[in-house]
Amino acid sequence: MSQSLRPYLKCVRSSLTAAISLSDFASQIAERHNVPEIEAAKSPEVLLNPLTISRNEHERVLIEPSVNSIRVSIKIKQADEIENILVHKFTRFLTQRAENFFILRRKPVKGYDISFLITNFHTEQMLKHKLVDFIIHFMEEVDKEISEMKLFLNARARFVAEAFLTPFD
Amino acid sequence: MATGNWRLIDVDALDPENAFPAELLTPQFAPVPLADIQALANHCRQSLQRGEQEEALLTALKNVPYGGDDQGKELHLATILEILSSIKQAEMTPILARIYSSPNGTELLDALMKYLYKGMARHNASNNGTPGVSVHATGASSVSGFGGATREFGVAPSRGDGGGMSVLLSWHEKVVDVAGTGAIVRVMTDRRTV
Repeated sequence: MSQSLRPYLKCVRSSLTAAISLSDFASQIAERHNVPEIEAAKSPEVLLNPLTISRNEHERVLIEPSVNSIRVSIKIKQADEIENILVHKFTRFLTQRAENFFILRRKPVKGYDISFLITNFHTEQMLKHKLVDFIIHFMEEVDKEISEMKLFLNARARFVAEAFLTPFD
Repeated sequence: MATGNWRLIDVDALDPENAFPAELLTPQFAPVPLADIQALANHCRQSLQRGEQEEALLTALKNVPYGGDDQGKELHLATILEILSSIKQAEMTPILARIYSSPNGTELLDALMKYLYKGMARHNASNNGTPGVSVHATGASSVSGFGGATREFGVAPSRGDGGGMSVLLSWHEKVVDVAGTGAIVRVMTDRRTV
């Protein structure tokens, strides 16, 4: 792990641990409804101050807590346009299968690449530290995955170009 | 009133019973004039030049301008970031432990934690859109004489190595070690924003 990644992930870990303190909270607006307050945003008194953690201007995490749900948005490092495309394809692949990931949000928050929505029902079914571990693990892996995909893409492009241009040799 | 989508009108929002007064959410503070914050910044910088970093940090954390306007808050943030970046890595934990054990120490570290998060959020605000840049730029340049912080934290993003962030991240780690995750919870729940 690189030198600056460790404090970044540690900061995200402690912030998430603090933020995932959720309790059941029925909607104050609609009777017999129970909605994630951070998404509904109808009662300003149950929304807490959002936290931003950034490693540099390209990589940051936004944590928006509320009484019964938190939204975690991640901006993945993108150095060039190829990485832009790869990150977009990768997050699209994941969000299309969002129901299999339980906490994944179908649409990322504006300005970020991928968002998670954790409600009190998730923390009732799953262990809190495992949820935090999952997000940290995701952040560790996604950078590796993207740079690996970029290498493969370049290798394949070189091979294709060579094969294509051989007849004109 | 024969509009097509009258079903979409949020009638609850029109009910005065449901209106949530903003002053209940944000506690009221007496406004702090910019000159006071500037004087405090000068005072802290003099302490820094004498080599009394801890003194400067304590002064800055004890006089948080909760009632200041945006420009004043930016200025105080720049002061705190300047102090934080002038303290060496090895001195962080002893200083924090001393502040924590002092009376009202928890409150001071909570304030520090707020500034750490604000410092990290500020770069993003200034990178997301041009308005942020101009606000920050005017806030920083209109006040003469805190060039140290501007050099350290204003230029860092364009260098692209996030130099200011690693300082904030290591401070964050140390504060959590000393004050625990409770400090983060209090940053989230405290309506007195810095």
